[in-house]
Amino acid sequence: MSALELRLGERIVTATVNADGRIVIDDVAYVVTSVGDRLYRVSSGDLQWTVAVAGPPDNRWVHVDGQVAKIEVETLGRSPRARPRSAHHDLSAPMPATVTRVLVAPGSAVARGDTLLMLEAMKMELPIRAPRDGVVKAIHCEAGQLVQPGTNLLDLE
Amino acid sequence: MIKRVLIANRGEIALRVIRACRELGIESVAVFSDADRHAPHVLAADRAEHIGGSPAPESYLNIPALLDAARRSGADAVHPGYGFLSERAHFARACVDAGLIFVGPGAEAIERMGSKIGARQLMQQAGVPVVPGETPADQSDAALTASVSNIGFPALIKPSAGGGGIGMKTVRTQGEVLAAVQSARREAQAAFGDGTLYVERLVERPRHVEIQVFADRHGQVVHLFERECSIQRRHQKALEESPCPVLAPVVRQRMGDAAVAAARAAGYVNAGTIEFLLAGEGVDAQFFFLEMNTRLQVEHPVTEAVVGVDLVRAQLLVASGKPLPWSQESLSQRGHAIECRIYAEDPTAGFLPQAGRLLMYRAPEGPGIRVDAGVVEGSEVSVFYDPLLAKLIVSAETRATAIERAVAALRQYVVLGIRTNIPFLLAILQHPRFVAGEIDTSFLDAEGQALRETIGSEDMPMAGFAAAAAHLDDQRRDRGAPPAPAAADPFDTIGTWGVR
Repeated sequence: MSALELRLGERIVTATVNADGRIVIDDVAYVVTSVGDRLYRVSSGDLQWTVAVAGPPDNRWVHVDGQVAKIEVETLGRSPRARPRSAHHDLSAPMPATVTRVLVAPGSAVARGDTLLMLEAMKMELPIRAPRDGVVKAIHCEAGQLVQPGTNLLDLE
Repeated sequence: MIKRVLIANRGEIALRVIRACRELGIESVAVFSDADRHAPHVLAADRAEHIGGSPAPESYLNIPALLDAARRSGADAVHPGYGFLSERAHFARACVDAGLIFVGPGAEAIERMGSKIGARQLMQQAGVPVVPGETPADQSDAALTASVSNIGFPALIKPSAGGGGIGMKTVRTQGEVLAAVQSARREAQAAFGDGTLYVERLVERPRHVEIQVFADRHGQVVHLFERECSIQRRHQKALEESPCPVLAPVVRQRMGDAAVAAARAAGYVNAGTIEFLLAGEGVDAQFFFLEMNTRLQVEHPVTEAVVGVDLVRAQLLVASGKPLPWSQESLSQRGHAIECRIYAEDPTAGFLPQAGRLLMYRAPEGPGIRVDAGVVEGSEVSVFYDPLLAKLIVSAETRATAIERAVAALRQYVVLGIRTNIPFLLAILQHPRFVAGEIDTSFLDAEGQALRETIGSEDMPMAGFAAAAAHLDDQRRDRGAPPAPAAADPFDTIGTWGVR
């Protein structure tokens, strides 16, 4: 018998695997059978779902009936893997994007929710908003610049 | 007849054109940027030419590079698809100047309909209804009040020089007009240094209904009925259907006639679309010209499904100088079709565009299901282009059965590796207002929040079980053991499908 920890958004649940192969989560047991390339049949009694799973364990994508979940799976009982969080910056691009407008200047007082920068990616405008009230300390980008995710665009005090 | 077409586009529309070429025995030439070197449209074409760097201005918008590629490949025609250069008159002209057939209207028609003011005047002359509006030469209170009465209520009074809603006033009764004129003038003067006012009829809760038109070089112009496109978010359409659920036959006839008159007035050739605002329902509905799209539309398969025609094939025939393959009398609508646009965007995170590799991609199949996709499993979705991955088009006997078919198909549509709007499309299709056909262009603004809240990835126990099973399989494989046996008996996998 082995136990796994599943992280689904904010929720963490433990899955244990019984000797008979059934998987138990929250006292509910289901039979899970591999039915094809990355396809699983999850069944209990008369009901069954075909579920598609892709991606590495630390970032598993799962499709059920038109809905998609991202799940992290970890084996319990071993020393937990270091889980580096992506370097957290005040304000960074969520994806590769082009800066289209810089709407504030160093020294600008901003309120939570104010739009600070406009980015463009895939023909869509993405506003970067102030996460809290503050004063703009420095700006690390300019209009027209291509920026990568994780790069700090602006310092807010 | 055209012999070899260069397709100045990418993604699903390039593949759509390649299919039509293949059926007609025309050779296809794909073009590609650095990012698209291994894209499906490049593999599908008979030839492929590299045209530049990944950003569109270096490749798909790069006219000299496209004309060079046409020359190198010996193409005798260019199909622009939609987007990119498809509505740029100077591109159409440059193709013709280079001795190439442009599969679309002439540059003059693109220019004529590309000017908002010019197109509006042309439509008025052709007797096509436009939203009533004017800038009275006499800007006195009395003249503006008279102008509002003339145009009818409800009306909008707005700065002629304006934008962004500043100084814009809605008036519903005669009694409100004078005060509204005076404050609009004051605000216009303050904001724009110009107090000139424009008066316009306010079209409330309009639907966006468009008519497909088609003209050949021999003077024949037909329409292919309407597409209802009111489900849009910031002018990006999400879902289109035909027929429009509230269009009375007599209004459909009038809109079709108006669209044909519009295409004739524009001197139009090839496939085009006349967009209208539709106010009201049934026989009393009014429609107003909005603009003309001088190209093939993203949502053209909806028309293909209900009218039973191949619009891209017809484009290639007409561009070759052949007459239209249909007469107006031969065309009719049958059944109902709905198109769902599958976008790489996260509806739970402000519709943020998504980029990455498609780890798994399985499109639905079945009766009445068509998928026009620009991607395959393993495709890399880049940030450089439009986030449209694919279009699901379902057709069925009635609107209700088409909705059911679309829901069932979307539930089987597996896209893993990046987020898509599929859960959001499912929420729209099952919303009571959509099901009842009670939609207008404000639907997604009004209902978007409620729709997004129905998207639940938090409460998915099935996902947890499958993720756990996949993990166990991986562990077994790592230990060198065979993966858990697949179901031994194929009949094992057949059973009732669960509903949660």
